Amino acid sequence: MKLEGTNTLPAPVETVWKTINDPEALRRCTPGLKELKEVGPDTYQATLQIGVAAVKGTYAGTLAITDKRAPAHYKISLDGSGGAGFMKGEGIVDLEPHGDGTLLKWAGDIQIGGLIAGVGQRMLGGIGKMLIGQFFKCLEDYVGGGE
Amino acid sequence: MSASHIGARITRNEDPALLRGRGLFVDDVRLPGMVGAAVLRSPHAHARINRIDARPARAAPGVLAVFTHADLGELGGPLPKLIPHPSLTYHKTQQPLASAVARYVGEPVAFVVAEDRYLAEDAIDLIAVDYTPLPVVERLEDAAAPGAPLVHVDMPSNVCAHYTQRVGHIERCFAGAAHRFRERLVIDRGTASPLEARGIVASWRPQTQQLEIWDSTQAPIPIRNGLAAMFGLPQASVRVIAPDVGGGFGCKVMMFYPEEILVPLAAQRLERPVKWIEDRREHFVATNQEREQIHEAEIAVDDDGRILGVRTTFLYDAGAYCPYGLIVPIVAGTTLPGPYRISHYHCEFRAIFTNKTPVSPYRGAGRPHGVFVMERLLDRAAGELGLDRAEIRRRNLIQPHEFPYDVGVIYQDNAPLQYDSGDYPRCLSRAADMIGYARWGARQQDYRAAGRYLGLGVACYVEGTGIGPYEGCRVTVEPSGKVFVATGVGTQGQGHMTTFAQIVAEVLRVAPRDVSVRTGDTAAFGWGTGTFASRAAVVAGTAVSLAAQAVREKTRLVAASLLEARPDEIELEHGQAFVRGAPARSLSLGDVAAASNPLRFAMPADWEGPGLEATRYFAPPRGTFSNGVHACIVEVDPETGMLRVRRYVVVHDCGRVLNPLILDGQIHGGVAQGLGGAMWEKLVYDAQGQPLATTLMDYLLPTSAEVPPLEVEHEETPTPLNPLGVKGAGEAGVIPVAAAVAQAVEDALQPFGVHITEMPLSPNRVRQLVAEARRSL
Repeated sequence: MKLEGTNTLPAPVETVWKTINDPEALRRCTPGLKELKEVGPDTYQATLQIGVAAVKGTYAGTLAITDKRAPAHYKISLDGSGGAGFMKGEGIVDLEPHGDGTLLKWAGDIQIGGLIAGVGQRMLGGIGKMLIGQFFKCLEDYVGGGE
Repeated sequence: MSASHIGARITRNEDPALLRGRGLFVDDVRLPGMVGAAVLRSPHAHARINRIDARPARAAPGVLAVFTHADLGELGGPLPKLIPHPSLTYHKTQQPLASAVARYVGEPVAFVVAEDRYLAEDAIDLIAVDYTPLPVVERLEDAAAPGAPLVHVDMPSNVCAHYTQRVGHIERCFAGAAHRFRERLVIDRGTASPLEARGIVASWRPQTQQLEIWDSTQAPIPIRNGLAAMFGLPQASVRVIAPDVGGGFGCKVMMFYPEEILVPLAAQRLERPVKWIEDRREHFVATNQEREQIHEAEIAVDDDGRILGVRTTFLYDAGAYCPYGLIVPIVAGTTLPGPYRISHYHCEFRAIFTNKTPVSPYRGAGRPHGVFVMERLLDRAAGELGLDRAEIRRRNLIQPHEFPYDVGVIYQDNAPLQYDSGDYPRCLSRAADMIGYARWGARQQDYRAAGRYLGLGVACYVEGTGIGPYEGCRVTVEPSGKVFVATGVGTQGQGHMTTFAQIVAEVLRVAPRDVSVRTGDTAAFGWGTGTFASRAAVVAGTAVSLAAQAVREKTRLVAASLLEARPDEIELEHGQAFVRGAPARSLSLGDVAAASNPLRFAMPADWEGPGLEATRYFAPPRGTFSNGVHACIVEVDPETGMLRVRRYVVVHDCGRVLNPLILDGQIHGGVAQGLGGAMWEKLVYDAQGQPLATTLMDYLLPTSAEVPPLEVEHEETPTPLNPLGVKGAGEAGVIPVAAAVAQAVEDALQPFGVHITEMPLSPNRVRQLVAEARRSL
């Protein structure tokens, strides 16, 4: 499942860059995140709980940030599995100045397998978009509130 | 002489219990101390299994055992390879639990037994499996392409078989032909969807070393034999019972599914009865599927539309393993010639592994594919030559005087394909009359004038049925006068309790209600192969008749000595044996049965043993071939893509009819399944091999609201290949539906120039085809 989009955040690129590298911000803004434990530089152990239709899945796995080119680009990878199957995602984030704020462009590819894929596939696209929307809305508040 | 029981339209002996909810399905089996089981299945279509941590699951409340491949010992090896074939170079079967690699979503990885199913399901979630995803091949053509990721790395490609059958000289024929038309035809993946999914209960008695299994299988005897071999037990110590089974349609004739080993193994290890019931979502990944084929086919005809030759080269999707050998593609290739005279025929296929659920026969088992290809080619030729669709068929039909007719290829039973009897032109003209073919052109114009798009389709087929190797039956007259019949051919709703009773009633002259039939219990009858390939009525039915005849002769012998007459003077009627011309000198069958089992004094040597009982077997030399014609009128809404079947006509010939009511039921169910496959049923997979239709919300089955009233008529051309003259009927309903619907839709959408080359035709797809056709107008 490929998803992409853009968001404008009310803060300069440097602030946004810091925020999207800040474990506290990720912890607060990633929907369904139950646990995020730093296990190395830019590498985290994560537990996510996501519900689709009647099925709620808990995924345990790793979240890693790579290909960093501060303050404009990184790749975020997520790899998890649990009783509801597995999820595997990769996203590219690019930042560029946009007036006083920052234009954040993102593109991701998520694979989901197992129970949620089989039962909830008709809703997955919409739910993926909704969750990512929640993530950026939260980031927006976070950078706004940080000032 | 009273009326014939064979051919009587009587209601079914099995229904009073079933309709009152008193059937016994596997899930109804409840044994003292019974525990529940659940299967952990691979969520990946292709992945290496690095490590399985089952410790938390083993420690979970109520968990009795967790099995991974390492726990299976000698039973962990690949499952039996059924029906080998010289062209099947790589006969791959799965292990009961995957050891190193999982090759489809749903492949069993671990098996949990707990005090109940809930606890087992909870424990499944606690098993941590470390997978490394491997490249996935989902699309059939991708999997067949050179350099494709391999489903089995010890193979040079994903091709497990390459097989060609030839009749005549196809190249010469095509080189000299006046017209050649080529089509690429695609049939997608579907699933049989029996009302009852699979289920198994196993019980082990350590004191007597006996294993008892209730299994929703179509083949209890081969399952018994296989389990005895695997568990090192005498066959007599293993009893397999296929009780009431809620539909099979082929997918329950696997021998073996992994659970058929796991459940008995767990029962033996734990010394507790174990039950596993497949849920619907599991069924969509764990029960074999079918139908996916891509044909590149070509027909050569002369100026009059006479078929000179046909060739097809096709890909067959085997899924991740091919337990059932090459039956489906062989049946497709040998069904394709159908009722037509074809002097030159070339059929070549490659069977391909993909990372999807394995394939084994589903009602039709290749026949719908063959018919779809042949009928589409004829429609194309008729269109190109400006010939009438029924007329091009009429010109090519094999005529009644040409039987037995050699098609020239080898059929699925490894015997030369020879049609035994039939009247193909009569079936076609009768179907054409029923659907109003001659007046259709004018009616269609009226509809179009009213802005409605209706089309007519007519498709012919020949159905191979009643193949060997053999079936048997034991008939016993009880001292009560009731008759007990046991045979190895189980029933999944086909009405064996009734049709077999009618056959016995006919011979012994008793009421069918007084004949009780036991099927699918290896303790009642231990020889046989199973219920598949439309063979029960033909093969087992004949054995039933032969056994009943032997019992009749024994009855005459015993009654003659009691009534002081000669055996050939004894007649049977209304449950009585009497002396011809002196009906007062009579005995009930029960009294004869009691007398045939004396308690004291000498027993006459010519009785050859006690009891009114006989066992007989029937082994047909080859299959017998039913045939028929379907015609339908379909309305298409070009805006929504919705199809509505307005009329559906079936003319069908399966030889002598045993029970027209049951036969109609078979045809109705088959047509409904055919309509599902033609219009909605599609197992969608994403590029990573994830099945996206694993609920009945996403995989649409026809309901009574979509299936129109069916108009069914029967011809009766008996077969010379068995004394009853019967042919099989189990798959007839489903076979030509896709072909007939395709033609009807094409006819309806003729103003748009839509050309149908695929199945199923979902509303989305029909809309798309209309849009594409509009753009190119």
